[in-house]
This record gives sequence, structure tokens and C-alpha cells, in this order.
Amino acid sequence: MNRTAGIIKMHYRDKWTWFIIPWSIMMFSFVVNLIIGVFLRGEEVHYTGGISSIFIYLFIAGMFTLSQTFPFAISLSARRKDYFLGTAAMVAMVSAVTAAALLLLGIIETQLTGGWGVRVQFFHLPYVNDGNMLQQLWIYFSVMLHLFFFGFVMASVHRRFRMTGLILLLAIMLVVPAVAVTVLTYYRWWDDMFGWLSGYTAFQHTLWMLPLTIVYALLSYLFLRKSTV
Amino acid sequence: MSNILEVQRLTKSYGGATAVNEVSFALEPEKIYGLLGRNGAGKTTIMHMITAQLFPTRGEVKVFGENPYENERILSRICFIKESQKYPDTYRVVDVLEAAAAFYPNWDRDYAYALLEDFRLPPKRNMKKLSRGMLSAVGIVVGLASRAPLTIFDEPYLGLDAVSRSLFYDRLIEDYGEHPRTVILSTHLIDEVSQLLEHVLVIDEGKLIMNEDADALRGRAFTVVGTSSKVDAYTAEKEVINRSMFGGLASATIVGDMTVNDKKQAEALGLELATVSLQQLIVYLTRGNLERKAVEV
Repeated sequence: MNRTAGIIKMHYRDKWTWFIIPWSIMMFSFVVNLIIGVFLRGEEVHYTGGISSIFIYLFIAGMFTLSQTFPFAISLSARRKDYFLGTAAMVAMVSAVTAAALLLLGIIETQLTGGWGVRVQFFHLPYVNDGNMLQQLWIYFSVMLHLFFFGFVMASVHRRFRMTGLILLLAIMLVVPAVAVTVLTYYRWWDDMFGWLSGYTAFQHTLWMLPLTIVYALLSYLFLRKSTV
Repeated sequence: MSNILEVQRLTKSYGGATAVNEVSFALEPEKIYGLLGRNGAGKTTIMHMITAQLFPTRGEVKVFGENPYENERILSRICFIKESQKYPDTYRVVDVLEAAAAFYPNWDRDYAYALLEDFRLPPKRNMKKLSRGMLSAVGIVVGLASRAPLTIFDEPYLGLDAVSRSLFYDRLIEDYGEHPRTVILSTHLIDEVSQLLEHVLVIDEGKLIMNEDADALRGRAFTVVGTSSKVDAYTAEKEVINRSMFGGLASATIVGDMTVNDKKQAEALGLELATVSLQQLIVYLTRGNLERKAVEV
């Protein structure tokens, strides 16, 4: 049997991590917002950011899934390569299914129910949901993949270089934004930066994120190849 | 192929400490090996390196003639069950079995579920809610049902009760008879497994101090018991590895085959002869090793 498929199967048996927990969190937020919508009596459109929970969750999943499953997978005599490929395939599938589900709920929200009858905009947001269907699907999918591998590469630094590596990485992650803020303020580039951000569509922004996602993935593979249990 | 596993001058050091020091040995196919030694002797580290889960500082490991690192052909023939195994938090017993089924080509599903019943393991129970003994039993089920050509058990019966332990020995022998493979049993409970073992490797302080056929080993020493003066007379010019006194009686453990002459001499002196268990022998030898070291210092 193909051992990459074995890794996918190993992840798939963990339905709590991949489906039940993220959807429970988001649906809880959705219900709370619906109740708010009922109290507002639909007098104005109520936009929420509740959908972001599922994206943040994927970042966190990227961090914890490694320590949860890597030692187990290696103990089943899987190669590190199998582990990486199987995990990447699992995340790609989960992201694709989640993206499609979010898009479908967005369509129900705007076109079929008028904001679930109370003008609540939970799944369909301005800017994020600009562009055609394929572009929207791609936005969801690529952002989820990006966030997952961001968490995953951090976890693989910890796996490979243990605490020293993680502390170093966190130090870099604190210093880089601090330097960036100083530079932006010193040269008065803030307006330019916001202009640049708002000058492009969400879809266009995902295009520069893609190479970054690939870099995260490659780095995490390199670290895992030298990691021990 | 003659050897299933070859280890050459295998060394693992952490900073200044050497956990495994220049260990070399070879294993033949279809035998049950005992990898014995005290806690912290380096047994687990050696097994981690054999299965490419840990990287050697120096030295070479060849399993089925090849380096096992990232080697699918080799890794798929190894099953390594360890006492400290971690499982995903949400996993139930049945999830562990189904995941294992995807990785071991010889996996026998029916056998795995039959073993589950033998060990009275609840399939739907979460792994986190199992007792120490049940956790060990899950490892044993996976190890047996994998039928991997090289199956390694590292302290497989931590927390297991006597009934389950003997069940493990019985099932291992039965299944080994039907599906011969190479088994490495690592343990410090030597007496219980001594009947199973065909060959013994003893590790002490990171070094391989013994690599012998189990039967040959059993005949390597014997004990004489009798009055102290007679024992002294008997043991003169013999290599004694242990000597103890109780009242006027002395007991001495002597290295060497028990020859017909030895027996006659002992009878003449009115001494009793007894065999030494594998455990006692290894305890003497590893303790002796420590004492010799103390003398060197």
C-alpha cells in the first residue's frame, strides 16, 4: 500500500482535528451573530468577522498537528517524506472542501436567504468575496494553505532544532515587524503601504502569498528530513 | 541473505556523554533475540538508530543489507514497538489499529481484532483513557499483527499484569511458529523471557558486553553450595564471579562448563551443584563489569 496514502488515512481518522473542532467554533460564532441579527431586527446589514476563526484555526492546526502525529507516523515506519507529502495532501483536501463549503454558504446567504432573513453577512464579505467564483475559491484555499504551512514550518523548526531554534525564530518574528514599523515611520511610507495594499484585489494579494507558502513547505520538509522522534 | 541486520561500530553521543559506544553485532533471520541490560544502558537508543528514528553520531546500520533511512523498501519490513509511544490525542484503540494496517504489508486484521479481545481492550476507548498496562497491550497487538520481518519490542509489557504477560509470550511463540520472523525483545525482566530467547545481547553503559547463544550462555556458569571451607577448596583455581556467605555455608558462582570431573569433585566434597539463571548470570556479569571499572579508576 502506498505509504503517503497511509499518512492521509492516519490524518483522516482524526475527524475532530480536521472537521469537528474548526466547524464547531465557526458555527458557534455564526449562531451568536444570527442572534445579534435578530435583535437588530434586520434594520441594517450586520457584517461579522466570524469566518476568520476557521483560518486562524488552520494556522494553529499547522503548529500542533506535527507534535501530535509525526512521532506516531515515524513509529509506524513511515518515511519522513511520506509524512510530509501525506500531510500536505490532507491539508490541501481539507482546505479545498472547506473553501467550497464556505462559498456555498456565502451563496445561500446572499442570493437565497437575504442574510439568513436578518441581513447578517457572515460567509460573504465585501472585498474578500470580490471576483468570480473560481477566484473566490482560490482566495479561501490559498489563504488556508498559507496559514497552515506558516504554523507547520514553525513547528518543524521546533522539531528539528528544539527550543533553541524556536526561541531564535520567535525573536526574529518580533524583531522584523519592529524594524519594519520603524522604517515605515522614519521614511513616512505608511500611506504608500496602505495605498499598495488597497490598490490590489484580494485575489491579487494571494498571488504573492503563493511563493511564500511554497517556501514554508519546502523549509518544513528540509527540517523534517533531519528530525528525530 | 545471511544477516538481517548488521551494526558496525555504532556510536551515539550527546554533547560529552556517550549513550552508545562502538557497538557492533549482526542478527540472523528468524530468531528471537534478547537485547538486555539495565535501565539507561543504551538499548532504546540502539533500537531507535536501527529503525532510522535517530541518527548515529558514527558507525553504520544495515537492515536487510541497506541503510534504513528514508528507505521505503526497508522501513516497510520493520515494526518497532516502544514503551514510550505517543499517539494522537483524539485516537481510539481502533484508530491505532486501522492506521497501523495502512503501513505494514503483512498486517492481519482478523488476528489484530482477535488479540484485542484476548487482551480485553475496548476498541472504542480513547487512547488517553487507557491504563499503563492497556497502553502496553495496544503496542503488543500492533507488534504481533504487523508480522513484520523484523519486529522489535522495547519494554513491551510495562504495567501489564502477569496474565497478560504470559498471554503475550504464548501468542508470540505461537505466531512466531506459524510466521517465522526476526524478533528483538528488549527488557530488563530477563527471567520471564529467558525461555523465549535464542540469542542474547547484553548492553551495559553503552557497550555491547555479551553476544551469545542463549543455550551456550546458560551453560557458562554454575553455582556450588556447601560449607565454606569445602567451597574454598573447590573453587581454588576456578574463576569465581560471585561469592556469598550465609552462616557456615558458602555459595560460589563459577564461570565455565560443568564437566564430569567438576561433578565428581563436587560430589566427593559433599557440595551441591546448581544451574544459574540467565538473569543471575547477567546480573553478575554486568555488576562485575562495574566493579572492574571501579578497580581501574
